[in-house]
Amino acid sequence: MSSAHSLLDGFASALTLSNLMFGLLGTFLGTLVGVLPGIGPALAIALLLPITYTVSPSSALIMFAAIYYGAMYGGSTTSILLNTPGESGSVITALEGNKMARNGRAGAALATAAIGSFVAGTIATLILAFTAPTIADWAIQVGSAEYVALMLVAFSTVSSLLGSSQIRGFLSLAVGLVLGLVGADLQSGLSRLTFGNDAALEGIETVTVIVSIFALGEALYIASRFKETGWKIIPMKGRALMTRDDWKRSWKPWLRGTAIGFPLGIIPAGGSEVPTFLSYSVEKSLSKNKGEFGKGAIEGVAGPEAANNANAAGALVPLLALGLPTSATAAVILVAFQTYQIQPGPLLFTTNPDLIWTLIASLFIGNTLLLILNLPLVRFWVQLLKIPRTYLFAGIVSFAMLGAYALNTSTFDLSVAIAIGIVGFLFRRYGVPITPLILGLILGPNLELQFRRALQISAGDYGTLIASPLSKALYLTLFLVIVAPNAIKLVNKLKAKSKK
Amino acid sequence: MKFKAGAKSELTFVGSLFALGVLVFWDTWRSELPEINLTISPKLFPYIVSILLMALSTILFIQILRGDLATPEGLEPGDKIEKSDMRTFLVVLASLFAYLLLVERAGFVIANSVTFVGISYSFGNKNLVKASGVAVLLSTIIYFCFTKFLHVPLPSGIFKGLM
Repeated sequence: MSSAHSLLDGFASALTLSNLMFGLLGTFLGTLVGVLPGIGPALAIALLLPITYTVSPSSALIMFAAIYYGAMYGGSTTSILLNTPGESGSVITALEGNKMARNGRAGAALATAAIGSFVAGTIATLILAFTAPTIADWAIQVGSAEYVALMLVAFSTVSSLLGSSQIRGFLSLAVGLVLGLVGADLQSGLSRLTFGNDAALEGIETVTVIVSIFALGEALYIASRFKETGWKIIPMKGRALMTRDDWKRSWKPWLRGTAIGFPLGIIPAGGSEVPTFLSYSVEKSLSKNKGEFGKGAIEGVAGPEAANNANAAGALVPLLALGLPTSATAAVILVAFQTYQIQPGPLLFTTNPDLIWTLIASLFIGNTLLLILNLPLVRFWVQLLKIPRTYLFAGIVSFAMLGAYALNTSTFDLSVAIAIGIVGFLFRRYGVPITPLILGLILGPNLELQFRRALQISAGDYGTLIASPLSKALYLTLFLVIVAPNAIKLVNKLKAKSKK
Repeated sequence: MKFKAGAKSELTFVGSLFALGVLVFWDTWRSELPEINLTISPKLFPYIVSILLMALSTILFIQILRGDLATPEGLEPGDKIEKSDMRTFLVVLASLFAYLLLVERAGFVIANSVTFVGISYSFGNKNLVKASGVAVLLSTIIYFCFTKFLHVPLPSGIFKGLM
């Protein structure tokens, strides 16, 4: 069956009333968490994971996908009107968008962000619908040894590209791997790092870690360091509309942003910072109005916003086709799949085709709903920012504790949550990125499994790890991305020293 | 030896990560293998992880000693790093522990309300009466939503029989 045909079937099942309602709820919640600074899409989905007990897989996943896209729409609103990016992909938007709002052009900035996100999201989802099955077809032949190499590449790029310091990224990954070790080893029954605690034998709940490292860590951090910082909303005049000139200046950046964002989402480049920044610098260098950059150039909003959305769609390709999440949010969606005993990966397109095509179709629907919801309702979203921060954080924290407890109705999970919350505080304080930890926790056990499987097949011959051409290519990439830049840096340093 | 401001606390943080690596190594080393024949020992992966953790924290330790201090989240490199407000930090932490201690003894509604008010207070809310009202109302709504609609059981605690 062709992709186009499957996609139509997907639309048919996504457009049932109940699925549509879940999609609508997701776009609403997604925009909400995007608008509110401090809660990102990863945390929102993690908090809602308990509903996977009572809702069908397709409804839950439709809702989560809508939250995923919705958070980016909401994030741009906050960046533009508040200069406080709601999530990492909107940091660049704040640069020009907030300046535009200060010049009284908030409406145009919001419009170009929303329409650009829609254009980019639609194009990127279309490409996703046609590339993911192809990649999955090819990936079915990928063996355990190659998977080990793939995961190592994903680990390394995410750890080294996020944040300012490579070594801190890798440390975060290592802590995540340690957390993934806790519990009884599946093959031998050997209990690891449980220290005699029976509750720990089952391992540490991924959801608990995600919820507490984001929600509790953030609360501890903000309360003890940025309590005084309030929010200053720039009032919006007029409606969210663009002039003819705005359209003329926006459409090319939208398309260029899509072209930059999507491929960078597929390869694990560590989230949306890199593509949005890249798009911004491309627009700046191509623009005829270079002087406007830094003072509110519409291209600087249109490009990065499109790149951000296309990037999010791109990140779904490795998640669905390979089972490899490349961002924190994708990792949480992976966990959502797993709670339904569904393993994303190459087989997904053959074992659960209905689910996957419904999900992809609902991405289109969600994207359209978001455009319709967002522009007319922008004033409503701005009102939400007037909820006092004290209640907002109190609500987030108590909901996170409830989520940790309700998972197994066990107080052991609550102790874990508090401990992880403290880790989250320390990571923020000492500039350690959090996403690598989550990847390490989720993919670590998988890495070990594939590693052992590969060596069992080869009867203990380590040569099997680099036997295939794909593995060789992946390790070469790893070398080029991680080792080479550092080696060049070192050589340059030594040269500079010898000159002195 | 003279340290930059904040270096000592960051060294302690990185040192504790090193200690975590040692702990993983020790736990792996002392555990006894079951009597089955496996190609790859279940100890190999933990050993690799612990060595990785120890090696990375050692490198970062040296970098910090050379003056490469972290930039806290939300700040730009070069911004002045202020000390954390430890009192507020402890209030937040106490609110979290209150939940842990109260949820099964006093019940969800009380535990959730106490935590809500505690966090609200730590973020600067002075009007505790209003906060308590919001907290109790919200907790009761959540309690009924979860137990009645989502069928997730939550402890009723001291209100057993009433709710």
